[in-house]
Order: sequence, then structure tokens, then C-alpha cells
Amino acid sequence: MSQAPSDDDLIQEMLPAFIEEAHEQIAALEQLLLQLEATPDDSELLHALFRCAHTIKGSAGVFGLDRVVNFTHHVEALLQPMREGRLCLTPALSTLLLQSNDVIRALVNEAGNDPDDDPDTVQTREALVTRLKQATAEATGDTPSPARCPTEPTAGPDADTGLRRWQISVRFTADTFRHGIDPLTLLNYVAGLGAIPCALCDAQTIPPLEALDPEDCHLAFEFQLDTTATREEIEQSFKFAREDCELIILEPGASPKDLVTLIEAMPDQPRLGDILVSAGAISRVQLLQGLQTQNEAADATDSSGPAPRLGEVLQSSAAVSPTVVAAALQKQQRQRSGGPGTGDESHYIRVHADRLDEVINLLGELVIAGAGASMLARQTRQRSLVEANQQVTRLIEGIRNSTLKLRMVPIGETFTRFRRVVRDTAAELGKEVALEIVGGDTELDKAMVERIADPLMHLVRNALDHGLETPEQRVASGKPPQGKLTLSACHESGSILIRIIDDGRGVQRDKVLQRAWDQRLLEQGEVPPDHEILNLIFAPGFSTAEKITNLSGRGVGMDVVRSNVEALRGSVTISSEGGQGSCIEIRLPLTLAIIDGFLVGVGPSKFILPLDAVVEVIANRAAATAVDASGRCCVELRGEVLPVVDLRTLYALDSPPPERSSVVVVRSGTRRYGVLVDALLGQHQTVIKPLGLMLRSLRGVSGSSILGTGEVALIVDAAALGQLAAQPRTVHGKTQRSDGSASPIAHTQL
Amino acid sequence: MPHACELPAELTIYTIGEFYPECVNWVTAPTDEHDDGCLRVAAGSVAEVDAAGVQLLLSLLNSLQRQHRRLTLVDPSQALMSAVKTLGACSLMRDADLKGVAL
Repeated sequence: MSQAPSDDDLIQEMLPAFIEEAHEQIAALEQLLLQLEATPDDSELLHALFRCAHTIKGSAGVFGLDRVVNFTHHVEALLQPMREGRLCLTPALSTLLLQSNDVIRALVNEAGNDPDDDPDTVQTREALVTRLKQATAEATGDTPSPARCPTEPTAGPDADTGLRRWQISVRFTADTFRHGIDPLTLLNYVAGLGAIPCALCDAQTIPPLEALDPEDCHLAFEFQLDTTATREEIEQSFKFAREDCELIILEPGASPKDLVTLIEAMPDQPRLGDILVSAGAISRVQLLQGLQTQNEAADATDSSGPAPRLGEVLQSSAAVSPTVVAAALQKQQRQRSGGPGTGDESHYIRVHADRLDEVINLLGELVIAGAGASMLARQTRQRSLVEANQQVTRLIEGIRNSTLKLRMVPIGETFTRFRRVVRDTAAELGKEVALEIVGGDTELDKAMVERIADPLMHLVRNALDHGLETPEQRVASGKPPQGKLTLSACHESGSILIRIIDDGRGVQRDKVLQRAWDQRLLEQGEVPPDHEILNLIFAPGFSTAEKITNLSGRGVGMDVVRSNVEALRGSVTISSEGGQGSCIEIRLPLTLAIIDGFLVGVGPSKFILPLDAVVEVIANRAAATAVDASGRCCVELRGEVLPVVDLRTLYALDSPPPERSSVVVVRSGTRRYGVLVDALLGQHQTVIKPLGLMLRSLRGVSGSSILGTGEVALIVDAAALGQLAAQPRTVHGKTQRSDGSASPIAHTQL
Repeated sequence: MPHACELPAELTIYTIGEFYPECVNWVTAPTDEHDDGCLRVAAGSVAEVDAAGVQLLLSLLNSLQRQHRRLTLVDPSQALMSAVKTLGACSLMRDADLKGVAL
């Protein structure tokens, strides 16, 4: 008999999901803070910021993570006056909140391990709590704070009695009763602060008896509270239920601007009247009166005429400001059009990456099996069977594309992480840097995104440390004091191209050469071509930094960057102009799983070229071409010389060359080159398998694939083979054909 | 004579689980030809009530209204009336026929 899991078991089981989601919220919180530094008045961002902190605190409470709850509470307390427009986000507050976010991250990381706090950590946390409390007190206390927004109106207390009428809206969550909260007791408690002249329970939120779980709470109330208490005291009275309710407190004498802000922050509600009531712009009674007036007006109006709008009715009958009605209508419109903040979450499901990997592995096997079935069908020469197989192949291709898309994520999520790095590193180095992100919505495989993050971090830090100058140095060289760092991404020829561009001092060739001579990477006095000088920075142990900092200068970064990128079947190159800046380009394949390939044969061996890289083929040409020992030669293509790599010679294949062969023209970056092959076997869905240990050192090959026949084909690395083709030839053979003519026999544009 | 439908002495989160099926029966039981569309529920013995209990009554009222029926709480106790008023359960106040206690 199975035993029901205990609460502890369930919590342990769900803890990883909480940690993952909390990290998402923490990352979002950080990005929102950084965005707010540019637009501190953006109420949407401020509300989103508050929601992030609130979600972390609420979820942590469920898991009994008291340290997270207690600390995040202070962050939330500081964010509250900000989203109410009572406190402006200054750079100092932003730094305080970013530091606090780091502490939340650390606390979440500790979740489940429950280690004892070390004294230093506790001290750091307490110091931050003190600063958070201080900032909150300055914003909410009686003493005016210089951080307050001078333009924001605040309602003053009634001069005679000190009583003020607050409009309060509270919606309880389904688990309220289960958590031991009784809204009736709570309202009685709140009434103790003064008097509740009017309370209304929203009966529409309660389902009929047949659909009711009597232990689920569906209660929502709106009430007025006459009290001398402050907002904090009112909030404090809801302290024990804060995790179980959504609380909106509208200050007495709220201006239309306050109401608009509140409407923006409210949960989605389909009806205009509900939005206005929840915001406290009108009472439920006024709404009912307004609806009645609307109905009466509609009855009185000619049926062909337009019915009066509720917003207009309420403007005249309840004196609601047109601005407030417009804001409520706008929110309603956004909800209907499915815009942000409209519960988009319901359109997504969270799937563990392992499950997707399993599907993709099975898909790979399906592709291979499908190719085998197609081949057998062709051999039978039965037309109906071949056609049926073609249909299956098309469907497999559709499934393949759709499945691979499931793993694609925008690289922008990785890029935005660097905003904080750039901000903090630049501040540490005394530099002013603006980070620009271009093409953040460019998608690539999730696994690739995760593995490229560290190399990118090295490059960004290097650009900040070595590339960009201090404001004084920049001004002295005629540049604006603020440097610019651009992270861009785009798709190009079936690859993703990531660029890290800075407008700094550029690579100093003389320093690179001197260091290369000193480290004996080059013979003393040897000056290689410019691109080779630049490539020296990727050499193991190379660094031109005059002093080692904790950011860079240890000479391990760039070497590791290159090896990490190459491990992803990618390449990294650098271009730089003295005094103008540098550009590092990382080229990566879009996916690590399946690609569209172009199958070619050389004797009995099969090779696959990435289809995106194939430009055209020169088919069935006479084979006689002078090939050097490394397998390189040239052919003429439309009056231009095209470097060609002969796979037979390059890989020392034993089979004799045929009389006629073909050249596949391949693009790699800005260059084009040809690949000399015996046979063109057509397009092929290629499931990428890793190379065995023995073949990993093979140049120009990045993987292998199994064909439908069970044969193994090697996948050509277009970029690496392009480098081989571009190298100077040892034997300068002329492009020749046996008949002496220059033009190829046939061109097929793909 | 005891009333056919009667609220228990305790109408709280601790008891509504047991009471809920009885409530459902009141709504789903076939009505006889003399039924005037009004469900009369004796509410005088309610000594203890919380928000979950009031929510159950609101839900009962919702179900009856869908059947175009009404709810009459007969002789509601002071405890029940106080809870209904505090929670602003205006539909109970407005739509249910509360007899015996002035709000």
C-alpha cells in the first residue's frame, strides 16, 4: 500500500521548482532595476518590480524559508512607496536594491541546505536591512525626504478630527481558510482602527454551491475605513494575511493620477465597472446606479441609435474623472487583446529540459529510420509506396522543425544579464559605459545559450577592462567621455553571429607583439600578418594587461573563450582598429541536434555539408585540376578564382578519382570556396552525432551522422574547411581543365 | 416543530465540510407543486459563524437564484446577522429574506 507523502516530502519535492522560479524573479528584478535607472518614473516597471519581490516573498513563505521572507519583506516595504509615486528611485536606492537582490539570490541558493549563517553574512544582511528601513522611513515618515517626488500630491489629515476615509479593496486567495485566516476576524480587527461605515462583499466571485469547494475562499471585499491610522498601520493590520490576499489601499483624496496608477497595478478584471470599483474610483452602489441609468437610457434610446457607454454615464452620475475612465478602458482593452500582464502565463506550460532532450533524441532516431524507409521504398520502384514515404518524410521534417523550435530561446535573456555586469564593472573601474543590445530576440538552442554565457562574460569584462578607456583618456583622445559597448546577435547563413563591439582604444599591436616575443610565442623581431597578430590574444597564457586585476589580465580568459566556442562547433574572430575599438565575432551553429544537410560522395565515403552554407554547385565538370599535397586547388567561377578543397586528397581517401567531378560552392562568413566531390546526393536531414575520440582531431569535420543505409557520413565544418581553403598553397597549380576551356559545364543555383 | 432545513449551531470552516452535502441536497432535491420558489432555512440556532460559513450561504443563494428561487433565513441569530453585516454580504441582506432581526 502506498503511503501518502508528508508535507515535508512535498516541500522537498517542489523546492527545486521554487528555486528555479525564484531565480527567474530575481533576474527579472535585477533587469527591471537597471531599466528603471534610465526611466525612474515608469509606473509599469515599478509595479512589475514590486510584483517580483512580492512573488519571491510569497513563494518563500510557502516553503517556510523565513530568512528569504524576512529580508524580502524589507525590500518590498521600500518598493511600496516607489510604486505609489511617493519615492523616486535614485541611483543610490538602485544600488541598495541591487545589493539587496544579491542577498535574496544568495538566500534562495541556500534554500534547502539550511546552513548556519556565518557572522559576516548576517552582518552584511543586517546592514542592508538597516539601510532599507532607513530609506523606507524617509519615504513614509513625517519628515519630508529629499528623495520624495515634489510633484506628487499627498492627502493631508482632516484638520478637525484627524479622521480620514480610506478606500480598501481586499481579495483573498483560495487557500486563505486552509492557512487559518478568517476574513471575518480580520475585518473586525481592521475595524478596530476606526470605523467601517460601509463594506461590500463581491458575491459574483463566489461560485454556485454545485461548483464550490467549501474550503476554498472566494471572498473579496471593498470597504471604507474612517481612521486616524497611517497607511503602514492599516497595512500592518493585514500583516498575518498578506500572503493570502491582494490588498489595495487607496489614500483619502486620491487624485486621478493616483487612481490611474492603481488601475494599472490591479489584477485583470473583464468589466469596466469592476475595475473602477476595485480602484475605489466609485462605490459598488454608484456602479449599480450607473448600470441602472445606462439601462434606462438604452431603453429610452431608439434601438438603431448607439447605447450610452458606462464610462460616460459614470462620468456624469458619479463624477469620475475622464482620465480615470480612460485608464480603466485602456486596461480592459489590453486584457482583451491579450497584451502584457493579461495572464499570458496560462498560454505557457513549464516542461523539464530533459523531457525535451528525450523527444529530440527520439526524433533523431525517427529521422534516421525514416531515411532508411525512404531508401527501401525507392528501391522497390513502387510509385505509391514511394509517394507515401515522401509524405512521411515531409511530416517528419515538420515535426523536426517544430520540435527543435521548442528548445530555441532568445539570446536576449543572456545579454540582459550583462547589464548588471557592465554597470558594476564600469563603476569599479571608474569608467562610463553605455551598453547597447541589438537583436536580443534572435533565437538559438537553449543548450547553446547556457554554454555561451561564460565565454561572453569573459569577453564583456575584457572589453570593459582592456578595451574601453577612462572618461579622461577618452576626452583626451577626442571621444565622448562615455564609452559604448554593443552586444548584438543575428542569424547568418544558418549560424548565429554574436558580436561584442566596443569603441575603445582597440588592440595595441605593438604591445601584443612585444608580449608575444617576451613569451616566445613568436621569434624575436618576427612580425606576422595583421590578423595573426590579433589572433595572438587567443593564445594560451597570453595577456597584455600591465597589472592583474580581479577582472582580467591573467591570460586565461581569451584562450578559454576560444576553446569553449570551438567546442560548440563555433568560431571566434577579432577585428580591431587602433583608437577606434574592437569587434569580436562569435559564430555558432543554431542547434546541436539536427540540421538540413547536403549529402555528397567521394568514392565510397559520404560527407554532409550544412545546407545553409551551400550556395551553388558546379556539376559534372572534368576532374583534371592541379591539386597540391594538402588538397587545395583553384577553379574559375564567372571570371573569378575560387579556392577549392579536394576532400579525397585532404583526407587521403584511397578510391581513385572519377573522370568527372563536381564542385560545391560553400559560403563561410564573407568568403566563398569550393569543395571538390565525386557525386551530389542531394538534401538530407542530418542528425548530428558526436565524433569519436580518434576523429576529433580531424580538421574540417565537426560531427558525424548515420544515413538511412546505416552508413556513417562525416559532417563538414564549413568555417574550418574555409580556413583550410584560404591558406596559401604550397604548390601553385593553375586552374585548368583537361580540354583547356575555363567555364564549368553546369551551374545549379540552390 | 423543527424546520425541515436548518443551519447548524456552528457554521465555520471546521463544520461546513459536513454540512455542505446537506446544503447541496436542499438545492438539488425536487420541489413539490406547492413550492413557492422559496427555500426557508431556520437560522436561529447559529451560535458561531465565520467567513467560510457566510461564503457557503452566499453560494447557496447563488445556486437558488440560478433556479429562479429565493432564500429565506428564518429567525437568524444575532451572531449570523453580525457576521453578514460585517462582511457586507449585501446580496444576503438584499436578496435573502431575513426575518426577525433588524439590521
